Amino acid sequence: MDPSEVEFLAEKETVKIIPNFSLDKIYLIGGDLGPFNPGLPVDVPVWLALNLKQRQKCRIVPPAWMDVEKLEEIRELERKEDTFAPVPSPYYMELTKLLLNYASDNIPKADEIRTLVKDIWDTRIAKLRLSADSFISQLEAHAKLDNLTLMEINTIRAFLLDSLNCMYKLRSNLQPGSSKGQFTDY
Amino acid sequence: MFITDIRKEFYEVVANQRVALLVASDIDALCACKILQGLFHCDQVQYTLVPVTGWQDLSTAFLEHKEQFRYFVLINCGANVDLLETLQPDDDSVFFICDTHRPVDVVNVYNDSQIKLLIKQDDDLGVPPYDDIFRDEDDEEGGDSGNESDEGSEPSGKRRRFDEGAVERRIDRQRAKREWEARRREILFDYEQYEYHGTSAALMFFELAWVLTKDTKDMLWWAVIGLTDQWVHDKITHMKYVTDIATMQRHVSRHNHRNEDEENSLSIDCMRISFEYDLRLALYQHWSLYESICNSCYTSCNFKLWTLNGQKKLQEFLADMGLPLKQVKQKFNSMDMSIKENLRDVIEESSNKYGMKDIRIQTFGVHFGFKNRFLASDMVHATAALLESTEKDESASDNFIKALDSLSRSNLERLHSGIDLAKKKLMAIQQTVASCICTNLIVSQGPFLYCYLMEGTPDVKLFSKPMALTLLCKYLLKAFVHSTRNKRCKLLPLIMAAPKDVEKGSVIVVGIPPESETSDKKNFFGRAFEKAAESTSSRTLHDNFDTSIIELKTEDRSKFLDALITLLS
Repeated sequence: MDPSEVEFLAEKETVKIIPNFSLDKIYLIGGDLGPFNPGLPVDVPVWLALNLKQRQKCRIVPPAWMDVEKLEEIRELERKEDTFAPVPSPYYMELTKLLLNYASDNIPKADEIRTLVKDIWDTRIAKLRLSADSFISQLEAHAKLDNLTLMEINTIRAFLLDSLNCMYKLRSNLQPGSSKGQFTDY
Repeated sequence: MFITDIRKEFYEVVANQRVALLVASDIDALCACKILQGLFHCDQVQYTLVPVTGWQDLSTAFLEHKEQFRYFVLINCGANVDLLETLQPDDDSVFFICDTHRPVDVVNVYNDSQIKLLIKQDDDLGVPPYDDIFRDEDDEEGGDSGNESDEGSEPSGKRRRFDEGAVERRIDRQRAKREWEARRREILFDYEQYEYHGTSAALMFFELAWVLTKDTKDMLWWAVIGLTDQWVHDKITHMKYVTDIATMQRHVSRHNHRNEDEENSLSIDCMRISFEYDLRLALYQHWSLYESICNSCYTSCNFKLWTLNGQKKLQEFLADMGLPLKQVKQKFNSMDMSIKENLRDVIEESSNKYGMKDIRIQTFGVHFGFKNRFLASDMVHATAALLESTEKDESASDNFIKALDSLSRSNLERLHSGIDLAKKKLMAIQQTVASCICTNLIVSQGPFLYCYLMEGTPDVKLFSKPMALTLLCKYLLKAFVHSTRNKRCKLLPLIMAAPKDVEKGSVIVVGIPPESETSDKKNFFGRAFEKAAESTSSRTLHDNFDTSIIELKTEDRSKFLDALITLLS
């Protein structure tokens, strides 16, 4: 999977906006949206929120978890625990990137939020790497990890699977005569 | 006709239609175009952008697009010539013209159906009233009622033969008509004699954005750049510049107030525009201070840096401020912080001693990200250099698109390459000015000064473009006024010619008004060039939207000049 596909899936999440135009309820295949009244908050998917923001038709309200104190707590929790802490939103990384790129003027203390989210991400990825390393070196058969987000899984997927395939090939070639090991050039 | 409500009569009309944007090649037009494009993107209006460099381009573009489009928006072109006659459009084409060129042609002003002018009516226009220049044919038959002859020959009480009375009345009418026509010619001559510039087009479109409450900081910045372009290229008077800066300052404070009133400050990536009372040194924050002082018109002319004495004075000036040469010659960003802190005040104090009272000018600066800081004049120089870059294999529209791109915040490499080109251009201008003054290339022809750049002059290719040549012309005149002792010559205008196209054998000729403190920047060379070309039947091309810039065949140069001398003496 491509990171941009994950971002595309993240755009389905809802976020609150305050429009400055009025429109009746619209009926889309994915669900109903609206009605839009100037000054009244309404929940819309992120893709629509960003489009309206770029056309200067709304103001985006940052999600509840995108707050400096809350993120600091989550970061402290993440650093203390060895396992993965519960995550503020299943798409926290993508939403932070999208909202801070297009609507940073609507989000207070945007720079600090960016730093905090990056810290949380770094801690989790480090734990993931450690966990994958111990999985391979201890030749485990299966593992269970809670509270991982799709973006983190996607980041490690290619490497982990390729390395497991490589290990399998090497291991199967050690067995004499079991199968004609084919060495393919990567 | 003039538009009063720009939202109802212009924007709401074009918002649901496909529009053709015909944009002239100057920075103000580029900024106005960017603002309008931003508005069109918000409302998803379909438009086609066509850059035009002159009247021929405009006519070709119009012919290509007249089948598909009904609405045309012309930016910085089309107001000063009878547009309907030049383009011969169909009856349902509508033109919205936002142009800074004045005087606006009277036909464009008084046409009610097809031409809409996006110009404020109080903008220093001086359009003659309708009745003074147009006369309906019915008035002819109106006969006696309109003809009060000053001699007071009242219809006599005596009964004469009806025929004689009618003949007398007809003679009176014809005489009145001739007088009216003579007065009309005089009024039109006075009105169209001088060419000058009005309020920036970018400002007009920013006000439209403001009325629609869709104005962003980006649009505000583009409006500031458009206004600064008019000042850098000396198109408007100082008073008008200061007035317009005050208007912009109100908008800037409104934007800054809106965003900084929470205790949570904005992200560093957001754009911040600030009012600066900054130095009149071109590109000094992206160059070294020394280079900037040597290559800015104001300081170079006041110190007379083409003389040895001038160089010494410059060293004295730097010593007077206590700035070591090593610091001053390195990149501005690497100068010591202690020097940079009070730089502006220190320079202002010292320059007052050396007779430069106006070294500081009111302008705006923008700041986004950690290291991106630009003044409005920096942007103007960079974009102008990109617009008129003389690299091979680049057509005029490529340059236009590149220059347009450099105005967006996301294209910083293009902007930096523009700044490098601008540095080369400024250095070339200074060297040319220095060599022209030292070799006495400027000669007085009587009613004007004249200078011709030979073909072998270094960087002469840069000066085949109208904006660059006009800038050179203005700097040269300022330098000449500072260096000559002849009092009469100081009040003369300057005409400059440079080779434009060596294969076709043509030169580009530019005329600028005389240099003075209270100059109103009104240029009469447009009409003068036309008349001189007619009288000598020289092969000229009056293609540029500024009528004081023409193209001429090299062989016709001398007879054209002689005709001008006779015309203007």
